[in-house]
Amino acid sequence: MENDNIQNMPFMKENLRLTMPFKVITGILIALGLASVAFGFIQDPGRTWANYLVNNYYFFSIAMGGVFFFVIQYISQAGWSAGFKRVPEAMMAWIPFAAVFFLLLYFGTHSIYHWSHDEAVADDKLLAHKSPFLNVSFFYIRMVFYFALWIIFAHLLRKFSLKEDLEAGTKWFEKSEMYSKVFVFILAITFSFAGIDWIMSIDAHWYSTLFALKNMVAAFLHGSSILILIVLLLNGRGFFPFLNKYHLHDFSRYLFMLAIVWGYFWFAQFMIIWYGNIPEETIYYSVRWEKGWQTLFFLDIIVNWAVPFFLLLPIKASRNKYVILTVIFFLIIGQYIDLYLQIMPGTTGELKFGMIEAGMFLGYAGLFALVVGISLSKANLIPKNHPYLDESLNHHFQ
Amino acid sequence: MYNRSIRGPLVEGNKTYGQISSDIMAPIDARPGMWWYLTMAIASVAALFGFYAIYITVSKGIGTWGLNNSVGWGWEIINFVWWIGIGHAGTAFSIFLLILRQRWRTSINRAAEAMTVVAVGCAALFPALHMGRVWLAFFIFPYPNTRGPLWVNFNSPLFWDFIAISAYLLISFSFWYMGMLPDFATIRDKTTSKVKKAVYGFFSMGWTGGSHQWIRFESLSFILGGIAAVLVVSVHSIVSTDFAVGVIPGWHTTLFPPYFVVGAIFSGFAMVMTMMVVVRKVYKLNDYITDNHMDAIARILTFISLIMGTAYATEVFMAWYSGNEYEMFTFFRNRVTGEYSVQFWGMVICNAIIPQLFWFRKIRKSTWGLLWISLAINLGMWFERFNIVVTSLANDFLPSNWVSYTPTIIEIGIYVGTIGLFVVGVLLFFRYIPMIAISEVKGVLNIGSKIDD
Repeated sequence: MENDNIQNMPFMKENLRLTMPFKVITGILIALGLASVAFGFIQDPGRTWANYLVNNYYFFSIAMGGVFFFVIQYISQAGWSAGFKRVPEAMMAWIPFAAVFFLLLYFGTHSIYHWSHDEAVADDKLLAHKSPFLNVSFFYIRMVFYFALWIIFAHLLRKFSLKEDLEAGTKWFEKSEMYSKVFVFILAITFSFAGIDWIMSIDAHWYSTLFALKNMVAAFLHGSSILILIVLLLNGRGFFPFLNKYHLHDFSRYLFMLAIVWGYFWFAQFMIIWYGNIPEETIYYSVRWEKGWQTLFFLDIIVNWAVPFFLLLPIKASRNKYVILTVIFFLIIGQYIDLYLQIMPGTTGELKFGMIEAGMFLGYAGLFALVVGISLSKANLIPKNHPYLDESLNHHFQ
Repeated sequence: MYNRSIRGPLVEGNKTYGQISSDIMAPIDARPGMWWYLTMAIASVAALFGFYAIYITVSKGIGTWGLNNSVGWGWEIINFVWWIGIGHAGTAFSIFLLILRQRWRTSINRAAEAMTVVAVGCAALFPALHMGRVWLAFFIFPYPNTRGPLWVNFNSPLFWDFIAISAYLLISFSFWYMGMLPDFATIRDKTTSKVKKAVYGFFSMGWTGGSHQWIRFESLSFILGGIAAVLVVSVHSIVSTDFAVGVIPGWHTTLFPPYFVVGAIFSGFAMVMTMMVVVRKVYKLNDYITDNHMDAIARILTFISLIMGTAYATEVFMAWYSGNEYEMFTFFRNRVTGEYSVQFWGMVICNAIIPQLFWFRKIRKSTWGLLWISLAINLGMWFERFNIVVTSLANDFLPSNWVSYTPTIIEIGIYVGTIGLFVVGVLLFFRYIPMIAISEVKGVLNIGSKIDD
């Protein structure tokens, strides 16, 4: 079982070139996004800022999901996924873009965060209590700090991975593993705080200890779904020829498992607050229980938990490309619903979906696809010298 | 596909199939050493002490405990949660590693499952005794009865607990027992003693090792595994709702279900490590339970320890962030500082800081390092439960309700008794049941080598 297996493989396409149609389509989407932002600021700035946060966080969480996937593979010494590691690496390329977008949020702080108004803090004991933590300058200092850490670590992991291609031996592999271990701990802390800062503090009086963890799992779940989508799209164009039903099965197990964990957290948070029935806590759900919002509230758990759970439960279905694609389709909508439901009631308080929402989402999607595509085309799609590459290329189990 | 040159073999010492059977069955055929009788004697004395304490509790009532109007839950609930946590590891170990295709589980799962069954038994003792009139314990079964329209309270987490734990005990016992069938048959076929032949023959349920039996055996183990995986999570989540659905500060927090599940797996893995260190040393099974196995458990413990540390930090931060004066009092005046700060910091140091020593390879390789750290974790998890149960109750909303709580000798007796019972159970397991799943270890003997492919 030496390296001869790789050579025995039929001609393997390794270099991705971005095609013209891809560039044109993403360009159009980006233009559409810019147009909707401009339209939105003229029409309704408050609503546009809220949407800006929804989309910022949406694509940021997907990039972070890629990071989670990447580091977990190293920490758990997973072999089967080694051949696909360029995909999460490419998703990490989005983090610097997310950083810029989030810093631009500075100009919209007042229209999103109630606690940023001095007059609101002045006659609110609770907000005054929180003001050492929730104040505009510390908020952005923290943001810079998180992004600095994430960008440094993501950059280092990518660098090690590219160096591994040039040098045989397990030196870079071991280094990546070590950094992944440190990174996952940093992620746990910083990502939790990021979730609390950027999303939970919109409802400034409300708190839940599980909130940050739930959003972390959501990022992992939805990031994985986009990762699998990219793998399948590339596979459709002839890349990753070694992709077999066992890989598909393992990919869908990720979705399956994370959907269960997400549903579990969703239920735990809801059930404990509902059962405790303390007004300070139930206010969060009672708003989301009103007419209109209620539909989204139930759709949230159905799309993010029930759909992946029931569709991926049978073994045959979980090895079927089309079933997996269906699940991914639902999850893409699911993360949007989830974030919309977390952000909108506390900012605009209006249940609206129109030109601004759709246009901005498509614009971000176009830019995200372009950034990830460029990053993918910069390196060999199949890594070299990874010690578990053999396991990945010849993956099978009972 | 298993890259043997990098991941290393799962069984060391170039064993043959025959050697594996005889190595693992050796402790069953040989007379146990002096240490076995000695430990058994000490554990039995502890268990007898426990039975005495139980006798006093049942005959005189739970007034013999140190509980009072404010602190209605004391050592019994702490120990109940502690044992249930330990009892989680067996199944968590077996099932999660089975699902994750971690083949190294094969030499450890049997012992971990045995530990589960004994620990869950110990745990179940506490709520039963806590009912006071233990002879009326059957009232908790939900069935149409002659006691008027009196049904159990389906809204109560205590009732959910009963259902979850009985289901868990049933499934983990079935899973454990079913896994032993092939090994019992091996003993039946190999032993020369007629009594043993009859007894092990009875328990092996006519196992012949035919291919039909193996196919059914494997599909059944996956089905039971799937059910048990869900139960692992649900049991401890439900235990956490015993606290979390109340409105007591320090109890009512949404983080509790996953935090309890992770904590349970943490203490259980630590107990598995304690046991494996002893087994390796005493029975010389280093070729089966290799350094790599211990290394893997140590890594998992380090990871979970970081999760625990993050959870503690989250709780303390949120107590401040909430701005709720009762939350702040509970955490900052009652736990971080104040009467119960020893237990709080004991929990933080034992669970979140000491296991970080596992980052050093030297400590992961040292027997004493593994033993002491795993024991520290179990101590730390006990502190954690103390923190949750007692501190919130002793000083609640009304200062006029505030009291201290000290356990009586009877309460200590029951706890010591369950430890004795646990050790007796484990020693009997060492003596009469193959500690390692023979058939499963044979399955991974040649993994990743030329013979396997």
